[in-house]
Amino acid sequence: MELLLFILPVFFALSVLVMPQSFVRTYGLLGGLATLVLTVVLMANYDPNAGMHSFVSQEWIPAYGITLNFGYDGISLMMLLLTTVLVPLILLSNFGRELSSNRLFTSMVFLMQFGLIGVFISLDGIWFYIFWEITLIPIFLIAYWFGEPERKAALMKFFMYTFFGSLFMLASLIGLKSFAASFAIEDLKAVQLAPEVAVWLLGGFFLAFAIKVPIFPFHTWQPSTYSKAPMAGTMLLSGIMLKMALYGMLRWMLPLFPEALDCVTYPIIVLGTIGVVYGAILAIKQDDMKRLFAFASISHVGLIAAGIMTADKDTLSGSVLQMINHGLVAVGLFLAADVIERRLGTRSLRELGGIAKQAPKFAFWFAALAFASVSVPFTSGFVGEFLLLKGLFSFDSVIGIVAGSTLILGAVYTFRAYQLSMYGPVKTSAFADLSMSELIVFAVIIIAVVFLGVYPKAVIDFVEPSVTDLLASIKQTPIVP
Amino acid sequence: MSVAQLVPLIILLPLIGALINGILGKKLPKAVVGAIATGVMALSFGLALVVFSQLDKAVEIDLFTMLDTESFSLHARLLADNLSVWMTLIVTGVGTLIHLFSMGYMKHDAGYYKFFVYLNLFIFAMLILVLGSNYFMLFFGWEGVGICSYLLIGFWYGDFKNTVAARKAFIMNRVGDLGLLIGLFLLLFNFGTLEYSELSAAIIGSKVDLSTVLCGITLCLFIGATGKSAQIPLFTWLPDAMAGPTPVSALIHAATMVTAGIFLVVRSNYMFELAPMTQDIMLYIGLATSIVAAFIAMRQNDIKKVLAYSTVSQLGMLFVALGMGAYTAAMFHVTTHAFFKALLFLGSGSVIHAMSDEQDIRQMGGLRKKIPVTHITFLIGTLAISGFPLLSGFYSKDEIIAHAFTHGTWLYVALMASAALTAIYMFRLYFVTFHGSFRGTHEQEHHLHEGPPSMTLPLIVLAILSVFGGILNLPGIWLHNMAHWMSHHFEHNVAGLNLIKHTAPEGNLALMLMIAASVMSLAILVVCYLVYGKKNSIPVADAQLKGWEKWSAGKLYFDELYNFLFVRPTEWLSEKGSHYFESMFLHRSVVGVGQLIGKSGDLVRKWQTGRTDSYILWMVLGLIGLVVYFLIYKYY
Repeated sequence: MELLLFILPVFFALSVLVMPQSFVRTYGLLGGLATLVLTVVLMANYDPNAGMHSFVSQEWIPAYGITLNFGYDGISLMMLLLTTVLVPLILLSNFGRELSSNRLFTSMVFLMQFGLIGVFISLDGIWFYIFWEITLIPIFLIAYWFGEPERKAALMKFFMYTFFGSLFMLASLIGLKSFAASFAIEDLKAVQLAPEVAVWLLGGFFLAFAIKVPIFPFHTWQPSTYSKAPMAGTMLLSGIMLKMALYGMLRWMLPLFPEALDCVTYPIIVLGTIGVVYGAILAIKQDDMKRLFAFASISHVGLIAAGIMTADKDTLSGSVLQMINHGLVAVGLFLAADVIERRLGTRSLRELGGIAKQAPKFAFWFAALAFASVSVPFTSGFVGEFLLLKGLFSFDSVIGIVAGSTLILGAVYTFRAYQLSMYGPVKTSAFADLSMSELIVFAVIIIAVVFLGVYPKAVIDFVEPSVTDLLASIKQTPIVP
Repeated sequence: MSVAQLVPLIILLPLIGALINGILGKKLPKAVVGAIATGVMALSFGLALVVFSQLDKAVEIDLFTMLDTESFSLHARLLADNLSVWMTLIVTGVGTLIHLFSMGYMKHDAGYYKFFVYLNLFIFAMLILVLGSNYFMLFFGWEGVGICSYLLIGFWYGDFKNTVAARKAFIMNRVGDLGLLIGLFLLLFNFGTLEYSELSAAIIGSKVDLSTVLCGITLCLFIGATGKSAQIPLFTWLPDAMAGPTPVSALIHAATMVTAGIFLVVRSNYMFELAPMTQDIMLYIGLATSIVAAFIAMRQNDIKKVLAYSTVSQLGMLFVALGMGAYTAAMFHVTTHAFFKALLFLGSGSVIHAMSDEQDIRQMGGLRKKIPVTHITFLIGTLAISGFPLLSGFYSKDEIIAHAFTHGTWLYVALMASAALTAIYMFRLYFVTFHGSFRGTHEQEHHLHEGPPSMTLPLIVLAILSVFGGILNLPGIWLHNMAHWMSHHFEHNVAGLNLIKHTAPEGNLALMLMIAASVMSLAILVVCYLVYGKKNSIPVADAQLKGWEKWSAGKLYFDELYNFLFVRPTEWLSEKGSHYFESMFLHRSVVGVGQLIGKSGDLVRKWQTGRTDSYILWMVLGLIGLVVYFLIYKYY
């Protein structure tokens, strides 16, 4: 049953290539829904209190200490759910776009899903690394094949930068393995390092994660890549791919190097908090909507990254909730930007205005997303931010207050973008209101966001036991003096 | 039905109305949309009356648990006590009247159904704010009303400046919200709960000295209150909020939402009682706001702006009352203020409606004969807010001023000054608008008409309430058994308020203070009549003003100051940061690292010449180097 997690995406990635052109989109959507159903079934059968559910655990290449180790707990399942919910939504958002090859596009999305699922259920360092890198291929190809004309420089920068970071992670992994029996996460955790060594090894992981999240100042690839990639690429990047890195911090970085945490926690939290303010301030005056949302994203994920580093239980649960929220809202916002670009051929706020008069449905859903993005109560972002800010505030009240400025600055840039494009006198030619597929995507996102905003218990109760286990493994490790 | 069943219904009804109109409103005829929205409100008010009559002790009603972690829980839970039910009565009662008024006022608006959806949603959020049993629910409602306020200020979004005003309101409120949120965190850390009942149990009668902790907490709560209730320094959004349709100004920006800050403080009274420093800060800020806003109102010529600054000023006075610990007096004034300020705003709406959307009082004049119902009710509102003897505002304001007298003579004088200013600008507004001769265009004169009954009926009801509202809390000079009904009502079952001792003067002293206030308001009435009513003098253009009048008309230049201090530096940072730091520095250094790797490759490549002689040369040089190194190492 669990193996279907690997089989289904690969099956759809390959089989879609031979489907008739007219059926490709529907087929892709069905495939996306199939993996979603699978995830839901797995979640229904999972007992949140049962800890890690390991479904493959055996030797593979003993000579190098590489094992076959796959499994999931509440956190992994939430990430799987996010992935499998967003993939059909991303496919659906693309219904209104004509691509040069829908087959290749859909196939690449499934390949991406394959890699992402692998990342979220790998319990062996090498497999984690392999899946981590696999995801780079489809996202690169999607952006390369379907992106904007002047995409090449931005893509090169993105590829080199993230690949560069990943290599450091591999080096750290091998370094850590030299003290351990195998690459299996349990063996790696058992290693006791001197803090000086642990800091360097953690640094390798951190570099890979910091670039992909991205955490200030490792973010420079992001705005240009987001704006040059096609909409689906941007959605995959911001909606799910950067969650890989946050998940990596949770699953790998914290438990593997507890010896180094004393030393790195504070600097990373400070970087995350700088990112919160920096991203928000730079977002204020952006003219390109996608770049604006890219900087907003830096601000939002900076908060999540900082929250993860507090290694506090409620805060970690909140960070998982906020990852889900950010995934949903980011996909929605980039779709909104795309809805505008698709119809008017521009995303420049200077040229937009008065769309609300022409497209009231779009105005409504975009507004709902804008509110979700500034984390008002009744949306999941509020509870997520509440828990994260509370954690940061108890860690250090000054940092909590500085990070809390996202409440104010977020409202500034989000409503500036919304009002410049939607309000005021009509500036652009006719604007067709939302199509059915677009409407469904917006509605699903908003319903999910509001449900989690009113009943966050659904997520928190599901992940909390897993978070407790994770933290227990950090605290248990005795620190070598 | 019991109270526990009725209270959730009171909250749900407006939400149901909003959902029905939100989904179907576009297709339904306007009359039906308005009837649904107003109907749910009336029903909600009816249920609130039932609850009011049945309620004896405080009741908590569990809905569901939102979040449950080891360290804390967040419950969706309601609390019905005399304070929350009283606020519910104001919100639903005044709300119903304003919904009714809107049916006439918004009749010709294209976004008719949307307007009622927002209004109903606002009531829903406001009811969560007042009926929640913990600070988390309060925060939900707190930001919920902020969203609705944003949507309604920017309701006519075709004009971009309306949306700028909406954004300003939202952002300024968020500054306060951050303060409130931190207050919530502090409460959680120190007491592990946000439930009112648990907090009051832990704090009242605590043996430990909590004054330091509570000082921080109450300051944060007060920062939140300055945002929502428009106090210095976060008050400039409220006058701009007048960009919204006038019923919105009446409901949200005068009668209900802006009093949320007062409600918050009254709800937390036992914390403020233990934090005298916060009380003092609150008193001074309230006093400063009251006088500054009254001063600005003196030379405003937009009918709604005058009322907006008047609201800010009255809210300031309320915070003075809270700072003195006169919580029930503040609630009394909140109630009467809701009556007469809603009346005044709706009256101004009726004027604007009659004047074909003209808001400048210099273009009005002589309206008293053309729109008699509006005129009489507006006059009643003006008299009530100016403290004309025996009207509602007279009693409620007098109670606060009497408290001030015991608190300190200087405070009494300052509050009397603020009250005097209020009377002056309100009478000025009244006389310039309704007396003299008509100064608008011919076309406007032709269109002058009283609104439909849906508009005049709320005016009449509110006028009656503005006249008789004082009965709720008589000072006990004449009718002893009816005295202080409202204070006793709150002290009956509201945590903390039951411990309060009366400090207001009684007997002859109280009578003297009342007579002084009456004489003052009457004198101002006469002078204003002579200056504005009889002489028919029209306010001059702002450009011709000099001295204090210029400062008043220029709103003391707070907006310009804030632009200079906050808006422009942030925009500057954003632009320059994007250009210099992001592109020139960060981006370049990343590219630089990449190029460094490339360059180092170039450098190394030059050595790989493929010629044996050069290799031998390098080998020999290397050997010599090694020998030298070892020699040095050995001998030194």
